[in-house]
Order: sequence, then structure tokens, then C-alpha cells
Amino acid sequence: MNEKDVVLLGRALREHGVAVTPSEVVTGATAFSVIDQADREEVFLSLRSIFTSRVDDFPIFEQLFGRYWDNTPEKHVEREGLSKTTLQVRPGAPRRGLAYFLENWGAAPAEDSEPIKVPGASEGESAAEKDFSSFGKEDLDDVARVARRIVKRLAKNPSRRWRPVRRGSRINLRRSLRQSLKTGGELIELSYKERKPKRTKLVVICDVSGSMDLYSRLLLQFIYGLQNSFAKVESFVFATSLSRITGHLRNKTYEHALERLAAKVRGWSGGTRIGESLAAFNAEWLRRIDKRTVVIVLSDGWDTGEPEQLARALSQLQRRAGRVIWLNPLLGSSAYEPLTRGMQAALPHIDVFAPAHDLASLRALEPHLIL
Amino acid sequence: MRAEVQQIKRLLEEQVYVTDAAVATALYLSMTLGKPLLVEGPAGVGKTEIAKVLAQALNTKLIRLQCYEGLDATTSLYEWNYPRQLLHIKLEESSPIPEAEKEATIFSEAFLLKRPLLQAITEQERAPVLLIDEIDRSDEEFEAFLLEVLSDFQVTIPEIGTITATHRPHVILTSNRSRDLSDALRRRCLYHWIDYPSLEKELAIVHARVPAISEILSRDVTKIIQRTRTMSLSKVPGVAETLDWATALVALNATQVDREVLDETIGCFLKDDADIAAFKAQFDSNHG
Repeated sequence: MNEKDVVLLGRALREHGVAVTPSEVVTGATAFSVIDQADREEVFLSLRSIFTSRVDDFPIFEQLFGRYWDNTPEKHVEREGLSKTTLQVRPGAPRRGLAYFLENWGAAPAEDSEPIKVPGASEGESAAEKDFSSFGKEDLDDVARVARRIVKRLAKNPSRRWRPVRRGSRINLRRSLRQSLKTGGELIELSYKERKPKRTKLVVICDVSGSMDLYSRLLLQFIYGLQNSFAKVESFVFATSLSRITGHLRNKTYEHALERLAAKVRGWSGGTRIGESLAAFNAEWLRRIDKRTVVIVLSDGWDTGEPEQLARALSQLQRRAGRVIWLNPLLGSSAYEPLTRGMQAALPHIDVFAPAHDLASLRALEPHLIL
Repeated sequence: MRAEVQQIKRLLEEQVYVTDAAVATALYLSMTLGKPLLVEGPAGVGKTEIAKVLAQALNTKLIRLQCYEGLDATTSLYEWNYPRQLLHIKLEESSPIPEAEKEATIFSEAFLLKRPLLQAITEQERAPVLLIDEIDRSDEEFEAFLLEVLSDFQVTIPEIGTITATHRPHVILTSNRSRDLSDALRRRCLYHWIDYPSLEKELAIVHARVPAISEILSRDVTKIIQRTRTMSLSKVPGVAETLDWATALVALNATQVDREVLDETIGCFLKDDADIAAFKAQFDSNHG
């Protein structure tokens, strides 16, 4: 192995998805000159500490290092999990999906408000317990109210950092002292400070596939409510592919928003590919997720894709996000158990697993949104 | 193996720290290339210990910055000594010194409270070891601020000017991976991962740190701990717990681990009620 191989190894790692920067390659080459180049272990350990920056990258490094140490760089190493899998669509009755609902949303409540047999439907009569699947149009206002309340709470949540204010309960000594110099050290005018509000961001990823038909109406209203009272909400919907709808829901009346959305989603199929959709989300949006972000996934977990892909995408998301909440409308039913392959794969990688089938369950969400 | 790496290994071992080539190489590179070393691993495997032992081995000062959410420049870098400033202003109240000069006086180094980062930069004698502990517990804002300090080891205080490090500190950062650190910070650092030790290594650690322990007892202890780590517990015991337990057993004059001794000392390595119940159930099924 020589210095050139070090550079090539760096490049090979980059090709395999390990983010090795040019400056790290330079560091690697520099390090190479100060270590025992004949000692395989020492070269291995040194370059590993420079080129990798997380333990998950160790296996791929080990494989590639072996090739360059023996001077036999060759074909692409299969990085675990990067292989594409073909997707199968779940057989069964064709579902209508969001597009259908959006086209008929005005007429829908009357027709749909008949109690339909769904898991999660409750027998109670009060609005809070009424299952969303039997919601009328006017009930949607309640949903919007809950959304606004949640958002208000989020905005008020104090962080541990301070900011100066005109009037407050805590004295800002640094500023006060500075000002007191004008009056010969007499503290006449005091400056104050207060806790900076925590800027929690919210990302909502909503399943609008056929199996979610009964809940789409409510969940969209909920997202719409969130979107319009809180600046830092990003919303996405998915069925077989992912679509960002933040702009479509913003600053419009609900009717108007739905019209615009209908135009966008027309022609969607009713199948679900949660794993693939989340992976698509990660590819583009993961960088913007940080510890101040709460990610809410709204889905019943009926996935036609590979559960491994779902698990991988979710664990990536969980590592970056402050909290990952999975809301499953079916969870409202006592008989429901999250046994689907998708849900099973997802469970280890979510922080909060909660129902979302009635108003009470949405209200119960509030404490989970506070980081 | 390079002589310097061997020397570091020997120095660490003199401080009763059982080490391996990986740690020694990482430390050697970190010191030679002047790059911070990021140490990751589960809780209780001796990440912090590396910094402590390094400071002892180099016979230099250990400066520790414990991170937490909301940690900012005033608690990590510097703060003005307000009470002293106030007193000084009062004393000088009637003196004819012009205001500008008064201001310059109270914002001079004598009125500066040096927090860990500034201490590390201004250390005069020799390069100290700067331990930034549990960086994953601080927030992104602090991480960004830290990047700035670590990139050129200089700090600008508006009232005083720019202070540049006299000796570049040896920086060690630890993380429990409770959150993902930014790529920028990771790239700036060398990376070292410490996992739970193997049976042999843990045995060696026990003998090194609890010399009074008998061969039988130390085998019992490490075997049980190693097996405990394979169970699904809410709090997995680290090496620190192993040592606590071994020390306790020696103090109790135990010759081997039986049910009675276990009942008395289980709190040394399991800290959760449900974990203790699960462990005891398994212990009983294994030992008749």
C-alpha cells in the first residue's frame, strides 16, 4: 500500500456512501507518513479513525481496506441494504385513495357518516369519542381547533437559552452593568432576559393510500390546521410515492386547499409503499431534520414494500429527529394489534406509538410534541 | 508498530489503564496531527477515562467541560466577574479617571472568569488535555460554536481582543450517541469507537483496578457481567459497574458469587427494578 492507494481508498469509500472529504484524504496521506507503513493493523486503525466518523461505517471500511492493502482494488462492494428490491402490490379489492376523496369531498360527509364497520370505531356518542370515520363536515372545525391549540403550546415551549428583553423577571447582569457605566456604576436602569422559546419544527408525513380512506379527510384537516397556524410545519403525503404539500395547504381556505391538492394528486393509485416513501423523504429532507424536529407519521402500517426498507428509513429518521411519532388510526380499537409486517418492522424505531381515530386521541398528542 | 505508539500504550498501562492498539494509535495520531479525537461508545465503557489517563500519562492538566442542553459561551468560554466589576466601579466612583479608562479597566483580563474552553487555550505551562464530555447532550448551537473554537484555537472577546492558544490542547470529545452529531464536527475529528470489552480484556481490567481480587472471584464477576450484557435490559452494566461490583465483593470478603452474596450486591451493577427481577430469574434457572 502506498500514498496513492490511500487516496484511492478514500475515493472508493466515497463511492460506497461514506462521506470522505478531500481534507480527510489529505489527513490520511499525512498520517500515512507518520505511521509504520508495514504494520497492517496500525495502518488499518489509523486510516479508519480518519476516514470513518461513525461505527456503522466500520464494516464497509474493513472490506475496502482489505482490497487496497493487498493492492487488488476491483469491483463494487455490495453495501448492505443498498440493493433495490422489486415491489409487489398487495392483492385485494382496489382502494379508492385520496384522489377519490378529494374529488367527492363536498358530498362525502352525508354519504359516509353512516357508521361503517371499521376497527377503531367507538360506540360513544360525544364528539370527542366519535370516530373520525363518521365525522361530518362541521366536526372538522373541532379538528382544526385542536390543531391550533397544539401549535400554540409548541410555540410557547421555553428553551434553556436566554435572550434580552425590555421587561422580564430575570436580570441581565452583563447588559445592566454595561449601561451602569454611564451613571458611574449606579445600577439605575436594569436590563432583563428571558428564556428563548424553543423553536420546535414539525414534519408531518401522512399516508393517503386506499386503506386510509376513512381517515384521510380528518388527517388532512388536522395537517391543514397545523400548517396554517405555525410557520415551521412541513407536510408530505404518500401512497406509492412521496409528495410535498406544504405550499398547497398554506394560506388558503380549506376548500381552496383541497381543490389545489386534488389537482395534484389525481391519478394516484391506492397502494402503499411506506418504506420507499420514507426513504425518498430521507434522501431529500433528512438533512433538514434535527433534534428540534418532531416527525409525525400518520399511517395504518399496511405496507406492500419491504419491511427492512421501512425499518432502515425509520431508524435513520429517528437518529436525526428529536422524536418520531407514529399515529395509527387503527390503534383506537382495543382489538387491534400491530401485527402487519410493516408495523412490526417500524415499532423498534419509533418513540411514540399512538392512536389517531378521534378528537381525544389528537388532544392526547400534545405532551408528546413538546421536546 | 511505531515506537511512539508503543510508548503511548506503555504510558497508558502505567496509569493502570488496560488498552489496545486501537486506542494508542488513535491517541498518537490525534497528538501528531493536532486533531481532536471523538470517542463514541455505550455508557460506562471508559470513554472519559481515556482523557483522564492521558492527562496523567503526559503529566499535564485535565480540563473538563461537561456538556448539557443549553450550554453556551458564558458557561463554556468566559464570563465577566460582575460582583468584582461592580465593586471596582464603586471604589473608583469619585476618582477623576475618565470613563473610557474605567471601562477599559473593568473589562480587562483581571475581571474575566475563565471557563473551561478559555482555560484550555490560555494554559501557559504545557498543552493540557481538554475533555469535552458527552457532546451529544449539548445542542446544535453549541456544536457550531465549538467547531469555531476547535478549528483555530483562538477566541475573540470583544472588549479584549483575540486570544490565541499558547499550546494547542489535546482535545478529546466523548459521545453516547444519544443524538447524531453534525457531519461538520465529525469530519473535523478523528474517530474512535469503544465497545464493551471482551471477557479477557475485562478480566485484565478487573485485575488491574482491583488487585486484591482472587482469580475465581474475578472470573465469576466478569462472566456474569458479560452474560448480563447479552440480556435485553433497560440499563446494561458498563465496565464501571463491573469494577464497583468487584470492589464490593472484595470488601465483603466473598470467595465466590452465590445467591446470598448476589442479593446483597446486585445493586452494584443493575440499577433498575425490572432488570434485577429479570436477572435473578435467569440466575436461579441457571443455578438450580
